Amino acid sequence: MENIVELKQVVKEYPLGKLTVRALSDINLTIEKGEFTVIAGPSGSGKTTLLNMVGCVDTPSSGSVTVRGQRIEQLGDRARTQLRLAELGFIFQTFNLIPDLTAAQNVEFPLLLQGTLTKKERQRRVAELFELVDLTPQIKQRPNELSGGQRQRVAIARALVTQPGIVLADEPTANLDSVTGLNIIDLMKDLNQKRQTTFIFSTHDQRVMQHAQRVIQIVDGCLSEGAPAS
Amino acid sequence: MSRLARFWMVVQLAFRNLYSAKGKNILVGFLMLFGTCLVVLGTSLLDSIEHSMAKSITASVAGHLQVYDKNARDDLALFGSGFMGQSDIGVIADFDRVKKALSQVPNVKAVVPMGTNMAEFYSSTLLDRTIESLRQALSAGQAQKAQAIAAKIRAMATMMEGEFNNRLQVLKNQSEVEKQLSDIRRVKSAAFWQDLETQPDRVIEFLDTRLAPLVDENDGYFMRYLGTDLQLFAQNFETFEMVHGQMIPPGRRGLLVNQKFYDDVVRNRVARVMAYLHQKLIENGETIADDPLLQNIVDRLVRQYRRITFQLQPDDARMLAKQLQAYLPGAQGPIEELVQEFLRVTDDNFQDRHRFFFANIAPKIRLYLFDIGDVVTIRSYTKSGYLKSVNVKVYGSFSFKGLEKSDLAGAFNLMDIITFRDLYGMMTQEKRAELQKIQAQIGLADIAADQAENALFGETDQPGEAVRANAQGFDEFADIDLKATTDNGKSLHDTTYDQADIDQGMALHAAIVLEDPTQLVASQRAIEQAIDQHQLGLQVVDWQTASGMVGQMVTLVRVILYVAILIIFLVALVIINNTMVMATMERSVEIGTIRAIGGQRAFVLTLFLIETLLLGTAAGFLGAGLGAGLVSYFGQVGIPAAHDVLVLLFSGPRLYPSFGLGNLIAGASVILGVSVLATFYPALIATRIQPVVAM
Repeated sequence: MENIVELKQVVKEYPLGKLTVRALSDINLTIEKGEFTVIAGPSGSGKTTLLNMVGCVDTPSSGSVTVRGQRIEQLGDRARTQLRLAELGFIFQTFNLIPDLTAAQNVEFPLLLQGTLTKKERQRRVAELFELVDLTPQIKQRPNELSGGQRQRVAIARALVTQPGIVLADEPTANLDSVTGLNIIDLMKDLNQKRQTTFIFSTHDQRVMQHAQRVIQIVDGCLSEGAPAS
Repeated sequence: MSRLARFWMVVQLAFRNLYSAKGKNILVGFLMLFGTCLVVLGTSLLDSIEHSMAKSITASVAGHLQVYDKNARDDLALFGSGFMGQSDIGVIADFDRVKKALSQVPNVKAVVPMGTNMAEFYSSTLLDRTIESLRQALSAGQAQKAQAIAAKIRAMATMMEGEFNNRLQVLKNQSEVEKQLSDIRRVKSAAFWQDLETQPDRVIEFLDTRLAPLVDENDGYFMRYLGTDLQLFAQNFETFEMVHGQMIPPGRRGLLVNQKFYDDVVRNRVARVMAYLHQKLIENGETIADDPLLQNIVDRLVRQYRRITFQLQPDDARMLAKQLQAYLPGAQGPIEELVQEFLRVTDDNFQDRHRFFFANIAPKIRLYLFDIGDVVTIRSYTKSGYLKSVNVKVYGSFSFKGLEKSDLAGAFNLMDIITFRDLYGMMTQEKRAELQKIQAQIGLADIAADQAENALFGETDQPGEAVRANAQGFDEFADIDLKATTDNGKSLHDTTYDQADIDQGMALHAAIVLEDPTQLVASQRAIEQAIDQHQLGLQVVDWQTASGMVGQMVTLVRVILYVAILIIFLVALVIINNTMVMATMERSVEIGTIRAIGGQRAFVLTLFLIETLLLGTAAGFLGAGLGAGLVSYFGQVGIPAAHDVLVLLFSGPRLYPSFGLGNLIAGASVILGVSVLATFYPALIATRIQPVVAM
């Protein structure tokens, strides 16, 4: 299988006043295409920092991060942004939908940023995704007219609309009730299987971990890989 | 297609962001709107003023350009420099050379010689003229007519006696007044007139030398005059128009008095105040009761009764007394008291008294110190500082069209340049020859300073000189006929001149009228080159500079307006900037999300710019519309010129402004520039928001 993400001896440190806080220590990690991976760990363990590295929104203090064959620490801001737009999809803990755009416009937004598809193609792809996340009736509603689960479904559709190789989700169920959360996880797993999209998400929810194909534990910035909870 | 869709989405986002911070954006939008409105209104008004002022000044006295001595000590200021005293702008000694050289410059239509100065003017009083008519009657042997005139003069003396009796009561120097009263009483007496047939010259001499000087009805009046080539002036200054009388015929000396000056200075003071009050009370609807200034004028009006009574012929005085007794119920007493009572005007009685004054009193008095057609004496200081007088005929009155009510434009009276040169003390060949003749006749000689004492008091006895001095007193002009001011014995205003006389002489400055005024700058440059080429030693200034303080006023107003606009936009800039910075902070997660899902920094920058441009465009559009609407409204109703300077600036009593596309573009450009400037910093902050903020 193709290595879609590769981290070698990644260290991330943040200055905190006169101190330096080490968020990640000597991380070595490889994720293959089509994996459904959970990064698990308690709060402050470094899950989000690790996800930021993989998501090209942050760069390591040392070591290397390779995403789809590109060393992100060697890329400039513009190239990293382009890489995110082309290869990555994001699902945020607080959904991060743009309030005054409709659900469909929110999903269409990354396609507009890409600027490669015609209007008809964009509409077709948006409609297809809404069908996929089972939200077609709500397509013209605005985020404030949707429930939390529905919003996260819209966010998932937005993350998938550019057909990225990797979808990153930071605590995607944290703001959802348990049933809705599990439904979302089921949906992501379903998409992972149908589309062979790589999913990497962080969580500290044991029930969510049960659905993962691979669970990477992180404690105090260090990795320890374990089998998914059964 | 996707670019358009992306742009539309950005616009939607921008609208949403504007709406979500609507409180702040309304404030910002209002500031932008007000600023744009001010730019459109202000620049339109200034452009309109500049346009009308250009017309006022160029078409009245300045022309488009003015040339004057390059080494002048002061700047040329046609309407005054704002400082006291006459400016020293040097002399153009040979105008002919200047005219010939500058007339060759392309786009020059005319080169008009000019010179301005101040003078005192004198005219004959009613008594002077009555004495003159007596003299003529006696010369013609019209004894009966002479007796009738004598009776008039006696009656006038009677009125003067009353006046001088009053003076006796209030003046400290009583002996002088008693002496004057004694002369008046002598004229009043029958004994004085017994000599009329036997010794008419003695009677006339007494009246001329003792009685006439006691009438001081026209002392201390000053006039500003512009000496020029009058025919050329009339052809090239389009606002010039005759009001009364006639244009001075070509080749004749004379004065054209400005109608405004004629009405404001030369007119009888009571008539002047009556006309002023009519304008204030009847035309403007003001009231004496509400205006302390008008109350003061009305109070002083009563004290002006002598301006009427002193001018009345005895018959007219009696008739007016009867009319006033009938008009003023219960009024009794001498004419002086009746007139004083009449002059006590109020808001209620003014309109009727104004009508009565001009219907019954004005025809009985001399309304103006001199009439059109009269000869007036003008006395001015020459360049070298001695007094020079000339008698000139007043051919007519004129005004500058549209500037009839402007004191500044109304201050210019017009005179032929030959007379101007006389008053200026210009030494012509003719005058030099005349002076040499006089010097030869009186034996004048240049003496060195160290020889002066001997020459004055005599080193040796010079019996011949002493005898001459004793025989002739100190009247060194005794042998000379001073009645003939020129060799042929004609009085000055009878002499003529031709175009060569006009051109071949001095001027203080010259107006240049252009064929195409839009080419002013290029023509000014071409004239400068011609001046250098012909070594004329002149400088050339545009009409705005030449007009002095007034010309700079628009520049001053423009600076004030620009400072006001700058302050408003600075405030707007700071507020917009703060609002946008706060909005950026509040939207950091959203911006981070856009960046995380692939939005480049340029996209964020565009988003911010479009937001501001939308607000700026909307506010600018409304502001420009409001400004244009206000200008159109003022263009319909006109803005009244509340001050004399404004009459000149407005080219009339009201300014009817208009706006052009340039004003709207200026307003829109300024507001969009300010918007972009105000957005720059917050947009910069926004582009620096990292995508990690969204995680």
